Amino acid sequence: MAKHRGRGFSAIEYPTGMNQGGDPSQAWIKMKPDGRVDVFAGTVDIGQGSKTVHTQIVADTLGVPYDWVTMDNSNTDSSPLCTGTFASRGTFIGGNAVAVAAERVRERLLEIAARELEIDPSDLEVSDGEVRAKGAPDRKLGVGDVAAAATWTHGELITGSGAWMKPYSAPDPDTGECDPHAAISYAACVADVEVDDETGEVRVLKLIQVYDVGHAINPTLVEGQIEGGAMMGLGLGLLEATYPYYPALDHRGDQFGSYLAPSTKDLPEFDNVILEYPSSEGPFGAKAIGEMANNAQPAAICSAIYDAVGVWVTECPATPERVLRALERRSEPRREGKRIVFDEDLSVRSVSATGGEGFLAVDG
Amino acid sequence: MKAVGARLPRYDGLQHVTGQSVYVDDVRVPDMLWAKALRSTVHSAEIKKLDVSKALRVPGVHAVVTHEDVPVNIVGHLAALGVPADEPLLAEHEVRYQGQPIAVVAAETEEIAQEAVNAIEISYEEREPFLDIRKAFDPDVPKVSPSGNLFVYEPYTERRVRKGDIDWAFEKADRIVQGVYRPAAIEHCPTETQVALVVPEATGRLVIYSCTQAMYFSMGVVATHLGVSLNDLKFVGGTVGGGFGGKVDTAAETISALLAIKAKRPVKWRWTREEEFLCSSVRATWHVEIADAVTKDGWILGRRTLTLHDAGAYTRFSSYGATKHAFHLGGAYTIPNLSFNAYVIWSNHVPTTAMRGFGVTSVSFAVELHMTRIATVLGIDPWELRLKNASRVGDTAPTRVVLKDPSAVPTIQAAAQAAGVELASEYRAMTNAPRKGKTLPRHLVDQLGAWRDNGGR
Repeated sequence: MAKHRGRGFSAIEYPTGMNQGGDPSQAWIKMKPDGRVDVFAGTVDIGQGSKTVHTQIVADTLGVPYDWVTMDNSNTDSSPLCTGTFASRGTFIGGNAVAVAAERVRERLLEIAARELEIDPSDLEVSDGEVRAKGAPDRKLGVGDVAAAATWTHGELITGSGAWMKPYSAPDPDTGECDPHAAISYAACVADVEVDDETGEVRVLKLIQVYDVGHAINPTLVEGQIEGGAMMGLGLGLLEATYPYYPALDHRGDQFGSYLAPSTKDLPEFDNVILEYPSSEGPFGAKAIGEMANNAQPAAICSAIYDAVGVWVTECPATPERVLRALERRSEPRREGKRIVFDEDLSVRSVSATGGEGFLAVDG
Repeated sequence: MKAVGARLPRYDGLQHVTGQSVYVDDVRVPDMLWAKALRSTVHSAEIKKLDVSKALRVPGVHAVVTHEDVPVNIVGHLAALGVPADEPLLAEHEVRYQGQPIAVVAAETEEIAQEAVNAIEISYEEREPFLDIRKAFDPDVPKVSPSGNLFVYEPYTERRVRKGDIDWAFEKADRIVQGVYRPAAIEHCPTETQVALVVPEATGRLVIYSCTQAMYFSMGVVATHLGVSLNDLKFVGGTVGGGFGGKVDTAAETISALLAIKAKRPVKWRWTREEEFLCSSVRATWHVEIADAVTKDGWILGRRTLTLHDAGAYTRFSSYGATKHAFHLGGAYTIPNLSFNAYVIWSNHVPTTAMRGFGVTSVSFAVELHMTRIATVLGIDPWELRLKNASRVGDTAPTRVVLKDPSAVPTIQAAAQAAGVELASEYRAMTNAPRKGKTLPRHLVDQLGAWRDNGGR
């Protein structure tokens, strides 16, 4: 009886900018008379920080300091449509929508500035809250001055709106052919675990995680997703089950005290690596990280269990009971073979007949 | 200073950690009533009797609603995509899962509302429930829906992916490696349970304080149930106390709105922790079978899969989730010959829904544990197996989308470096550049050449 160390690895991908719900996002932006900026979009911040990311995108697209930008996503009267925060679409689709809107505000800003400076708009640029003539940086005007001129001199509002979507693409029912997403994020995860062969308990000691997010709009928030997602992945891999005795309904947890979700006691050591291979269609090259952050750990953990004690736990979560049962079965012969029956009907029928091992009709 | 790429603090972080952020349950308005629901105590039954008259006589009760009060009771979450609507807002003649709402009461307090719920008379004729999706193809199992237990992707009962020549792959294979992978259903576990507050304004508009992850989507669902325009509703939200996918479903808003309309008073319905765990949607149970045709040096020539996805009692987003699942069963790899079948199966469990990684979390578990298994069976390095098959620029996904910027190769290399794993020089030097003939085994060159000539089909 002993504790065994093991290492497992997984490499995953995840789509972003999806269109399978035909989901657009819209945004509109207005500028106050002192150049401060209000962004309105219906994108819900579910805790991932989309308001932060959206204001960052607007600030840089427009060329004003970040703290000049506020964001209001609080109601459907003032904010235009966003179908919602799901499918890892907040940064990619919502971010693209606010970027398009900010680009239009910038165009309006330059039109007003052009009148004030008597320079063609195409010869102007905006950065750090100032409109400057290209090649003649001393000919400049604060964005606040331009906004004031728009309001009090010209009687105009500097505003802009935008939207972004990936058009819906219906899958071919025979082959699945379609164009369902705008980019794919990739990630890899290395799990170091310790398996107790007496109790079946598995402890994750360390997770090394690499995420290509295209471009990290906010690296701190990306790390938050990496580590928060990893804890959810750890729950999937080791702890959580709605129906611990599926398909039976016994022992279904109905409180935090009877449903085992990960806590800080389960926290492993983290090593996070962010890679940036830009997407051609995302805002500032961004892809996404939101959902995929809990996908890589369960397979890495179960691979590490195999490395540690030589058994396959192929059902999640890898509870102590499952690990111990796998250890008991270890001496049984493997069922690998060269030939398998691949008749579709036979396969699905054998799922029913065997309680779930359709392909394992091995011949030879 | 550039904002993009900067480690700026969260926009609303200080608000959150100082307790100043306003969540739905923080909002109190004058004359507010509280809601409680009568939910099914059984998994599957005909409703033989439903009588709310005693509930209406409980002092302090202002409204009771049943399916008869809902202008459009059956609304599909994906009706706009042509997915048939199957789920009633409030149960009509039958219940299909334990916890399904049947009638809802609005009263002066939650205690009075619960007392009234307890006074509702209901009787069931129980049916044998169908709970194990692995038995879905057994002709003798109970039917969840009159049409059976399988969602239909016209004209098939499964989402299909087909690419290349799967029989060729299995004919050429040195080994066939198989596995069955079963990730469990899990809970979303938000700190904030499902909650809504609906305030009827004198103008006739309804102001709906919502914890939805999808304000406009939910507004559309509510408007469809009530048969009103989008301007008859104002959703207030945007800040959520934990969603993880579970709050894409529209849960408390519509029923609270019906009670508010009937009582002509603001109504708040906040689910208890027990209701959140037992009656709200969950991540689905999945059953994924994989058989890979591999060469002894680690090329995956073909992959056959069979997936069963437990939708629970109604479809909600399951058809979308299983489609997304099928599109990603190749994982981070390019496999030229594919045959995937993914079934959405109705059961008498609570409806399942989106949860972080929807459809693909199950793929990542199944495919990646399977990759480790292939490496073990073949006796080759798991890093090299993955790098060898990793998608490269110009490869095509199972959907035949040409990959413009796949970064599987550098991502795996970076993980190896961070983990102190010494890769062989050819794998250290590998990039995501398009594959060249010499990086492919002879038997794949011909096939891939023909495949590319055919536009990756």
